[in-house]
Amino acid sequence: MEDSVQQPVLLSSENITQRFSMPNGNMVTVLDSITMEIRKGEIICLIGPSGCGKSTFLRILAGLMHPTGGKVFARGKEIADLTPGVSMVFQMFALFPWMTVSENIQSVLVPLQLPREEVEHRVSTVIKMVGLEGFEEAYPREISGGMKQRVGIARGLAVQPELLFMDEPFSAVDALTAESLRADLVDIWDEAEGQPASILMVSHDIKEVVYMADRIVVFSANPGRIRTIVQNKLARPRDYRAPAFLAMVDYLHDIITTNELPDTPPVAVSTPSQPVYEPIPPVSSGDVVSFVEYLDSHGGQGDVFVLAHEFGKEFSDLINIVKAAEMLDFIDTPKQRTVLTPLGHRFSDMDTEDQKVVWKQQILTLSIFKTLHADVQASRNGTMLDDEVQDRLVQLLPNENPEFAFATFINWARFGNLLAFDEDSDEVSLQ
Amino acid sequence: MQEPVENQPIKTSPRGSRQRDTRATSPVVWGQSGAVMAFYQSGALADIVIILGILGIFYGITQVGHEWTGVLRPTVLIDLSFRALPRYTFFSLVRGLAAYCISFLFTIVYGYWAAKDRLAEKLLVPILDILQSIPVLGFMPGVVLALVSLFPTSNIGLELAAVLMIFTGQAWNMTFSFYNSLKSVPQDLQEAGTIYRFNWWQRLTQIEMPFSAVGLIWNSMMSMAGGWFFLMVTEAFQLGNRDFRLPGIGSYMSVAVEKGNVPAMAAAVVAMVVMIVALDQLLWRPTVVWAQKFRIEDTSQEESMDSWFLDLLHHSHILRWVGAASSVVGHVFGSLVLQLFRRPSRNVPDSPPVVSVPNKHGVPNHLSFSVVFSRVMFFLLAAGLTFALVQVVRLLMSVRISEWLHLLRSDLLTLARVTTAVALGTVWAVPVGLRIGLSSKLSKIMQPIVQVAASFPAPMLFPAVILLLTLFRVNIGFGSIVLMLLGTQWYILFNVIAGAQAIPSDLKEAAASYRVTGRQRFWSLYLPAIFPYLVTGWVTATGGAWNASIVAEIVTFRGETLRAQGIGSVISEAAFGAKFAELAAAIFIMSLTVVLINRFVWHRLYTVASTRYNLSK
Repeated sequence: MEDSVQQPVLLSSENITQRFSMPNGNMVTVLDSITMEIRKGEIICLIGPSGCGKSTFLRILAGLMHPTGGKVFARGKEIADLTPGVSMVFQMFALFPWMTVSENIQSVLVPLQLPREEVEHRVSTVIKMVGLEGFEEAYPREISGGMKQRVGIARGLAVQPELLFMDEPFSAVDALTAESLRADLVDIWDEAEGQPASILMVSHDIKEVVYMADRIVVFSANPGRIRTIVQNKLARPRDYRAPAFLAMVDYLHDIITTNELPDTPPVAVSTPSQPVYEPIPPVSSGDVVSFVEYLDSHGGQGDVFVLAHEFGKEFSDLINIVKAAEMLDFIDTPKQRTVLTPLGHRFSDMDTEDQKVVWKQQILTLSIFKTLHADVQASRNGTMLDDEVQDRLVQLLPNENPEFAFATFINWARFGNLLAFDEDSDEVSLQ
Repeated sequence: MQEPVENQPIKTSPRGSRQRDTRATSPVVWGQSGAVMAFYQSGALADIVIILGILGIFYGITQVGHEWTGVLRPTVLIDLSFRALPRYTFFSLVRGLAAYCISFLFTIVYGYWAAKDRLAEKLLVPILDILQSIPVLGFMPGVVLALVSLFPTSNIGLELAAVLMIFTGQAWNMTFSFYNSLKSVPQDLQEAGTIYRFNWWQRLTQIEMPFSAVGLIWNSMMSMAGGWFFLMVTEAFQLGNRDFRLPGIGSYMSVAVEKGNVPAMAAAVVAMVVMIVALDQLLWRPTVVWAQKFRIEDTSQEESMDSWFLDLLHHSHILRWVGAASSVVGHVFGSLVLQLFRRPSRNVPDSPPVVSVPNKHGVPNHLSFSVVFSRVMFFLLAAGLTFALVQVVRLLMSVRISEWLHLLRSDLLTLARVTTAVALGTVWAVPVGLRIGLSSKLSKIMQPIVQVAASFPAPMLFPAVILLLTLFRVNIGFGSIVLMLLGTQWYILFNVIAGAQAIPSDLKEAAASYRVTGRQRFWSLYLPAIFPYLVTGWVTATGGAWNASIVAEIVTFRGETLRAQGIGSVISEAAFGAKFAELAAAIFIMSLTVVLINRFVWHRLYTVASTRYNLSK
């Protein structure tokens, strides 16, 4: 690869900030002053935990959404509407189910008002390019997910864009298919002669990012910020098992874990009158329990990245489970390792009844549970309506989605026999 | 509202192959001999059918034109001979179809406007909701008189009045369906349309219409069935001593009843059934089968359907030419629209679409012609509504308290009748529907019959039922419940069958393996499982019963008027006597009752049904 820093900037963002208002009127910052640029002839990948706003950022760059603050420049000109020269590949393909493969591709050429021969030429060219010959007259419902995404890519290429945006394009297809799609895409881009010149891809898969990207933009969540930008100068074609490749994966993985699971958590400076409320990670008690038990039966420790793979969870989901287990003192996380604590070990060996007792005792060490439990105790008849509980959660955790927070809160409290919730009467009561 | 589909023997034919294997899929009833099959497959048969169809339509148009522009007759002389019946049936059919075409256009325009303009939406959706709850039959006398006086010398006024009344029975649910579809187009499809710079025309024809097609077609079928009810009432309409009857199947029936001509009555019923079945086979079924291509992928309904008529048409040469020609015309028109709505700067390939795509904040990006037009229309509509509202309030102000109390009492009586009718319908339809729905053999036989019964306009049977009621000396106060039941019970049955068919087999197996039987199986499995469907059935049935009360609580039978006290008979009488204040007050009370019941009963039941008794979660 030529050094992309020398290449002209195609698209850049300046202090992009995005806020959404929650149903309760609170504002949540999803993206916080993102400044970056895309140069000609590079593949850039955005990676980060779920909820870091990377897909939102992609849509803002494409001009599909207008940011609350900041500007987007295409070749130095500020954009007010759709960004010129961008086409997009969607996570769930976004093919029109009522059109055949070739009709799907033709449909995006209609607005270009090309002569009929040119349309036919382009359709057959891109179909050949992505390997869809023979499927021209098939409907999307007849072909596999991998094939559908090939149509999505063909459609994106047909308009001969300067920039190809991809929003988690391979997360809805199986691992094997994803691998071959990635390889094909890199080949196509190599031979595309500037159409597209650059690719911007959103992903949560570290290996995918290392395979594809020239530059990797690592996002952190709450609010979404650029944590760091990593240059990836591995020679192409890349090999998933090459030591240099694996070293790059490890390196990225260290960045993300130390970011999401800091060794020394920001010490909550809590005064007795003003306790600090830590948000509860949105995972079920069942997941935490089975994770602790899994860790205990697999040597009591492990690498988060490896565990995610073994445990069959997305990396970002597992990080939430790890966070939850750490909050409850079942595990410790020096560096990116997770180590069972003595309590976690004992917990894992208990039967369900005792586990519930320990769980109750542990969640009561969290100020959010302590406070709300006290609230319910103090209320009339020891019951509160779910709306009241939700309002309290909003007060105490203003940056969280109140519905998710409530669901997780109830799930944890139910498992520990701390509180009961009756969906019919909408009442939260003491057990 | 996704209505139940008949469980036909299913073939999952690959979509890619346009040419279907006819031998495998179409039930050719006239024999499978080689010669016949060759004739069928050559497409000649299809072409003959199409040519005959076109000729028939031309002949029909001339006949209808003759009838519509004919001199207004004081009384229609209905020929009760069987020979005349096809002609009358055809006239009725044309009214129904004409009303449907208007309903369709209304649906597209109104639904599109409501979905695209956030300001107009705030007004248009509540209006639609109110229109849906208003007993439109109450307006019929006014509409008829107004239109007849507009065209004093010809039949056009009367015909238009009939079409308009049928329209009011068809349009609202279709419009709601289209509006809801437009609002629920998946976000990624919309984004794909935006990023690839589709203009509004391309969006409408390539994304929005296809996405709405399935729901719109199902609602069209429902609407068409509902329309026949209004057709029967309008065709046999008498106001005081004036006779506004139109030649049609409804007036044929009413004259037959007057004359006590039983064979003619039976013939009318048969003709109606034939019309319903023919429409289903020749219009709706092919449309439904064709529309399967517009299904969004991961819908639970995996099975596909077949239509012999569509298969026949597939072989036609003529249609293939027409298809090719229309695709060319469509292409030309599409690029014409593109040219028209394109900014002059042609060399900039990325000029923004003229119809502004509202961004996240709902602010249109630029003030274009369409936005201005929409605003102007909105303010005209708002002004018109305000004026109408003032008029209605003034009318209502003139109604005395004692009259209001009387109306309220009548309303409660009708409410009791409606509730009783729905309850009676439930009591028999739930066990019968379960019986049918749980057996695939019974479903196959019974479902088409139930469908026809549901589409059959109940007012046509009123005379026969009233005859029975008078024989058994049943008071019309109770008798009207039977009349309401006649039209509305089928909706409940229909939905229960669909619900029973949708019970997952693992639940049934679990119940069987744990020996859950009889009463317990009904209460712990069947009833919860069909509950969401039952609620849909109740809502439709109740709406139908309220509307039916207007014609059921006051009936003329052999020159004698039977009247039950209730809000329906008040509306009828006020309308006939042109007492507008009373009419407005009565319609207001009835609509209010319907709205309140929707809000406080059905809305809650829907919530319960979709959270607790939802089997797909």
